[in-house]
Amino acid sequence: MDIYLQQLPQQLVNGLTLGGVYALIAIGYTMVYGILGMLNFAHGEIYMIGGFTGWWVLHLLTRNNQVIMSAGLVISLMIVLAMGVTGFVGIMTERFAYRPLRNAPRMNLLLSALGVSIFLQNLVLTYQGAKVRAFHITSLIPENIRVFHIGSTVFSFMRVLVIAVTFLLMGLLTIMIKKTKVGKAMRATAQDIEAAAFMGIDVDRIVVVVFLIGSALGGAAGVLVGLLFTQVDYYVGFQAGLKGFTAAVVGGIGSIQGAMVGGILLGLTESLAVTFLPSAYKDVVAFVILIAVLIIRPRGLMGEKIQEKV
Amino acid sequence: MKKFLMIVLSLVLIFGVVGLGYSADVKKGIHVGNAGAFTGDAAAPCMEIYNSAQIAVDEWNAKGGIKGVAIKQIMGDDAMDPAQGVNVAHKFVADELMYGVVGPPMSHIAQATLKIYGAADMACITTAASKPDLTEQGYKHFFRVNARNDAHGWNCALFMKKILNAQRVAILNEKTAYNVNMAKETIAGLNKLGITDIMQETIVGGAKDYSAVLTKVKAFNPDVLFFVATTAPDSAIGVRQAKELGIKAIYFGTEGARDKKDFIQAAEGAAEGAYVYHFAPDIYSISEADDYVKKYESTYEVLSGFGPPAYEAMNILLTAIDKAAADGDISRKEVAQYLQKTENYRGILGFPVSFDAKGDLKGGATYFFQVVGDDFKQVAVMTGK
Repeated sequence: MDIYLQQLPQQLVNGLTLGGVYALIAIGYTMVYGILGMLNFAHGEIYMIGGFTGWWVLHLLTRNNQVIMSAGLVISLMIVLAMGVTGFVGIMTERFAYRPLRNAPRMNLLLSALGVSIFLQNLVLTYQGAKVRAFHITSLIPENIRVFHIGSTVFSFMRVLVIAVTFLLMGLLTIMIKKTKVGKAMRATAQDIEAAAFMGIDVDRIVVVVFLIGSALGGAAGVLVGLLFTQVDYYVGFQAGLKGFTAAVVGGIGSIQGAMVGGILLGLTESLAVTFLPSAYKDVVAFVILIAVLIIRPRGLMGEKIQEKV
Repeated sequence: MKKFLMIVLSLVLIFGVVGLGYSADVKKGIHVGNAGAFTGDAAAPCMEIYNSAQIAVDEWNAKGGIKGVAIKQIMGDDAMDPAQGVNVAHKFVADELMYGVVGPPMSHIAQATLKIYGAADMACITTAASKPDLTEQGYKHFFRVNARNDAHGWNCALFMKKILNAQRVAILNEKTAYNVNMAKETIAGLNKLGITDIMQETIVGGAKDYSAVLTKVKAFNPDVLFFVATTAPDSAIGVRQAKELGIKAIYFGTEGARDKKDFIQAAEGAAEGAYVYHFAPDIYSISEADDYVKKYESTYEVLSGFGPPAYEAMNILLTAIDKAAADGDISRKEVAQYLQKTENYRGILGFPVSFDAKGDLKGGATYFFQVVGDDFKQVAVMTGK
């Protein structure tokens, strides 16, 4: 038993970082679903493009294994530019692949999303190649703060950074939705898109904003994972998209708080499952929980109160 | 009358193409296939295999090809997916000018395609697939220039015991044919050597995060961590996260990890002192290989170790085709028969290549390297003793 207890704090840290990233991806799924009632399967690729943008920024700002400006600035630039690029890609996919199908049967939208996913993946494969890109992050963090210990638990600087940025972004999003006019319009559109239009809300604009924010958060997740796990390739979006989607469903698809809770729950479950079971069961446990949640609460953990849907 | 002619014509066509056992005039052309995962996580080693084989083909063509006919290498990309590997095999088998294939380099793809190539008598020389079963199924067309992993597994166990002085070993392996077997054979070897304090867990290739399972390894506190992953990028993440978590065990990786760019450089210092095994010796120490190394590295990147066996395999295959073509026409069966007779072929690998009755390389050896600075240094060779 001792051998399990000694791992627990470390696994909580592992799970929390992974969960934070899942949550950021899940938010993109859930926001789009909340408004359009569609699953944006291309969201995983948006995350992948975020990772690549971050890699390029870091690569271009590195000379002889040293970053050419302050590390804080480089990391900020990576995140901001990745959010910008993915936000733009998100808006473009909405404009050209989803808006023309707004009034078509839901199945058409789903197929269109799958098409966008394949298109983006192959676009990156064509122009970036199949090779794995490694993030050279050593020069970003001074040696003495790279890892620190609390008891036997190891915190790496990158993990703390990822957790901090994740919660910062989630906090900002919550405030925006609760307090601002655009947030109010988003909530109204989510409740009833037609009624919102009658009330004078420019629904098209709101949908664009939703894609912008959802995609930008996905892009940020891509950069954070790149910094944390130090690699990106054209195929990472598939697995990440699947996990983000699962997190969104566990939390109650359509609910932003649900996506946050679902993501963190999924990350923690995966890490803790490995502690007690052979690691081959990691994904099995995660998906058993998904099924269990859906049997007990078919709308997900927080998908009940419709007025919170966005 | 017209109808009769049509039937005769069809019969002639059918027998001409299919019925007579693929025997064809050399002058029509000579194709050789190269099956591998040219996209995806293993693209780098597979492209090294392809480009090295192409160097061999170019050299043959520069000398006038086979009977004056230029040889053409054709790429078949399976993307590490057995289903796509099967498609590649069907495509290759349907190409009537194709007389042999280099690859597939991965055991699970080789397994999935064995029957298709076998039914067509298409000679295959793999340069890396080391699952023992592959040559235990009675096929006459399948050969390998690399050692089987029951040889590797036992050699790795010997290495851990004798050189690394291991007493407590953690083994993390991917759940793919090659890696599962490698782990199984190594554990069997370790048990035989009296090491029974072993922890085994599985990992998923391409997962990018192994911290949960590595945390478990840390609690087990082994002397040696044997990280059995297919690709160098995954191995780089493994070694980096192990170091980050403060795991003190010696990191021991696979042949896939013998890659300067994707393992040593990608791990940014975390790989220093780590060990890897490989089926090929340090190519820079073999003088016969100088010419090839110069040709490869002047055109492509630095060699990782997958190229030399592919260059050798293509040369062996073309030698067999050349012999089969001596009488003016070739059949696939002939090529496979000549390959079987390969005896003490001396190329660039530093040891003579002969195949046994199953198609396996006679007397397989495993080479061990340590990461020193920005390079791999050969530290030991194990040959089952």
